[in-house]
Amino acid sequence: MQRRQFIMLGLAAGATLATGLTLYPMFSEADKTQQQQNASLVLDALLPAILLGALPKTEAEQQQALQSTRQAVLDYLPFLPKRQQAELQQLFFLLSQQLTRLALTGHLLALGELSLEQRLQLLSSWRDSYLTLLQQAYNGLRELLLAAYYGQPAHWQALAYTAPEFRAYE
Amino acid sequence: MNDPIKTGLAKGWRHIDAATLTEDQQFEADVVIIGTGAGGGMTAEILTQAGLSVIMLEQGALWSSSDFRQQERWAYPHLYQDGAGRKTKDQAIAILQGRTVGGSTTVNWTTSIRTPKPTLDYWQAEFGLDFSAEHSLEPYFAKAAGRLHISEWQVPPNPNNAALKRGCENLGWQYTVIERNVHGCANLGYCGMGCPLNAKQSMLVTTIPAALEAGALLVSRVSARQFQWRGEHILQLDAVPVDQHYQPTPSVKLRFKARHYVLAGGAINSPALLLRSKVPNPSGRLGKHTYLHPSVISGALFRDAVSGHAGAPQSIYSDQFVWPKGDEAGFKLEVPPVHPVLMASKLTGMAELHAGMMQKFNHLQVMIALLRDGFHPDAQGGEVQLDADGEPVVDYPLTDYLWRGVQQAYLAMAELQFAAGAEAVMPVHQDAMLYSSWQQAKTAIAGLPLKTYRAALASAHVMGGCNMSADAAKGVVDANGSHYQLQNLSVIDGSVLPSSLGANPQLTLYALAWRNADVLAARLRG
Ligand SMILES: Cc1cc2nc3c(=O)[nH]c(=O)nc-3n(C[C@H](O)[C@H](O)[C@H](O)COP(=O)(O)OP(=O)(O)OC[C@H]3O[C@@H](n4cnc5c(N)ncnc54)[C@H](O)[C@@H]3O)c2cc1C
Ligand code: SF4
Repeated sequence: MQRRQFIMLGLAAGATLATGLTLYPMFSEADKTQQQQNASLVLDALLPAILLGALPKTEAEQQQALQSTRQAVLDYLPFLPKRQQAELQQLFFLLSQQLTRLALTGHLLALGELSLEQRLQLLSSWRDSYLTLLQQAYNGLRELLLAAYYGQPAHWQALAYTAPEFRAYE
Repeated sequence: MNDPIKTGLAKGWRHIDAATLTEDQQFEADVVIIGTGAGGGMTAEILTQAGLSVIMLEQGALWSSSDFRQQERWAYPHLYQDGAGRKTKDQAIAILQGRTVGGSTTVNWTTSIRTPKPTLDYWQAEFGLDFSAEHSLEPYFAKAAGRLHISEWQVPPNPNNAALKRGCENLGWQYTVIERNVHGCANLGYCGMGCPLNAKQSMLVTTIPAALEAGALLVSRVSARQFQWRGEHILQLDAVPVDQHYQPTPSVKLRFKARHYVLAGGAINSPALLLRSKVPNPSGRLGKHTYLHPSVISGALFRDAVSGHAGAPQSIYSDQFVWPKGDEAGFKLEVPPVHPVLMASKLTGMAELHAGMMQKFNHLQVMIALLRDGFHPDAQGGEVQLDADGEPVVDYPLTDYLWRGVQQAYLAMAELQFAAGAEAVMPVHQDAMLYSSWQQAKTAIAGLPLKTYRAALASAHVMGGCNMSADAAKGVVDANGSHYQLQNLSVIDGSVLPSSLGANPQLTLYALAWRNADVLAARLRG
């Protein structure tokens, strides 16, 4: 099982590398909506896993936190160099596609259909993968998502952190 | 609250926000300066005061004290290069650089240190650079100290820095109280998000206002793309505005013509502009030998609150390990300010493990060890390359030599943190855990894999890529920053450094800029 999964991961990574060059120019302005959809799909699946233990208590607060964090990620992406944006869009694209999803995740289910535990296992398997690409995906997504969550003053209570304000921001 | 920039603009300082331009335009001046950080800001004041007409170009926006927010989610995208998401090519090292008027000086942590003597000796031996006797930088350190209110920080260190001091005292290790470039500092700790009180004497509130007052023109939100040159001369500089996300966008064409061009875009970006322009590069060193002071991180839990976000971010450093007797990699010990995004993204792990550490946020003491790269044959730095969009990316190989330094640094930091009274220490490494004694940490650290992505590495000091050298075969510019092949080009910023410094760079850069801008002013007037 382990071994088969590794081979699949290898295939997926190979496919990414092989298609990378042709995928990049394919993403034009017109595809922006599609890109946002891919990104949202993946973010919505990964955020509740990565933020396990950090999210607020009530269901309503959790939904609010997940939505605002997804939005914070989407708002931040355009500030990254175009090269990094394209790499992330590719990752979002691959993870939202049927075939590559199977290869990347080792599961037939969509990311969002996996249990939180399985999603965390998946992320850990990327972290410990021998493939540079997957290790980069783990590190990149982890940082991006956690930064977006802890960037919001609403989530500072658990940290007992406050920042001075010299005027009202927004 | 008083905002000197807004006040100056209201009285007629010349500023153009390139993003608002709708037609192609050409500008002319005696000197065009690209970049407004430590090198560019200092040069702008000196050249305008010498009576030269000056245009300053800056890719970032003209944000000032009344715009700054004490929130990382605003500061990183608006004030940092690549939205603070810059990384080395393999994504192993995170790189912080400023991208705003004032450059990195607008967001730096105010630590001001003169160039260490052994670094100058190395430059002399390796690159024939003589900064001794009548060529000494000492008078320029003194001038910069006067101009930027640099003096020893008299306020007691915050608990984050106090732990570093206490650890050193208990172990008998060297430490120094830091000098800072501040005036009227309220000890807030938000230097990295832009000083809201104009206390930090960055270029934004000192030399740039002086240059504007003396008639210089500032063009912000403009990206210098390419020099047009022929033979030994630059004919013009082509530039484009940036969009609301600071991405270069060819909505209009901007052309800048000058007698002389000063490149001050900082390490990584300065060599990138020269690479895009395909300037002559007979030494083969352009873009190469880019140094980072790769920094290793160690967290520690203390019973009493540390609150590393409050108070002057850096007030103590230790040079116990920076110049070892053997040829192993030296490192300087400091602490960073601890704010939620910086901490959350650097701390390893996720889910409950990560959340648990974040809940101890105010009890977390954090140390960094800055590896002194660039002195050893196995630490020759990275290479700036251009991506498909012409944007720079640094390919920085982590050698076995540097990895041994990483391990030594983890050990030193853990030992120090326990000596300072830590209850537990956690090297910031994917495979590390919380260790409850120095003995336990020592054994565990020896077993941590020294591999890319396992160790969290970061840099806030980017140096080199257009190195100075007395010998044209070993450098891009001479000791005055004059480009060896293009007569009307000088490079005055962190990219000229021929090795890392083993100390925080800003004061070295202010002194070098002052000296080299003086030389340039004399040359252009004479
Ligand atoms: C978070 C942080 C903390 C730091 N703390 C300290 C500290 O405490 N002490 C210390 O000594 N040093 C510190 N440093 C480092 C120090 O600030 C820098 O080494 C120094 O400012 C570098 O000066 P520079 O002139 O080379 O470039 P910078 O100050 O980085 O300025 C370069 C400017 O040029 C602009 N630019 C680049 N390319 C272009 C282009 N093509 N067109 C137009 N504009 C362009 C950039 O946007 C930038 O604003 C810190 C840095 C950071 C990021
Ligand atoms: S500590 Fe606060 S007041 Fe002092 S320089 Fe930094 S941001 Fe300004």
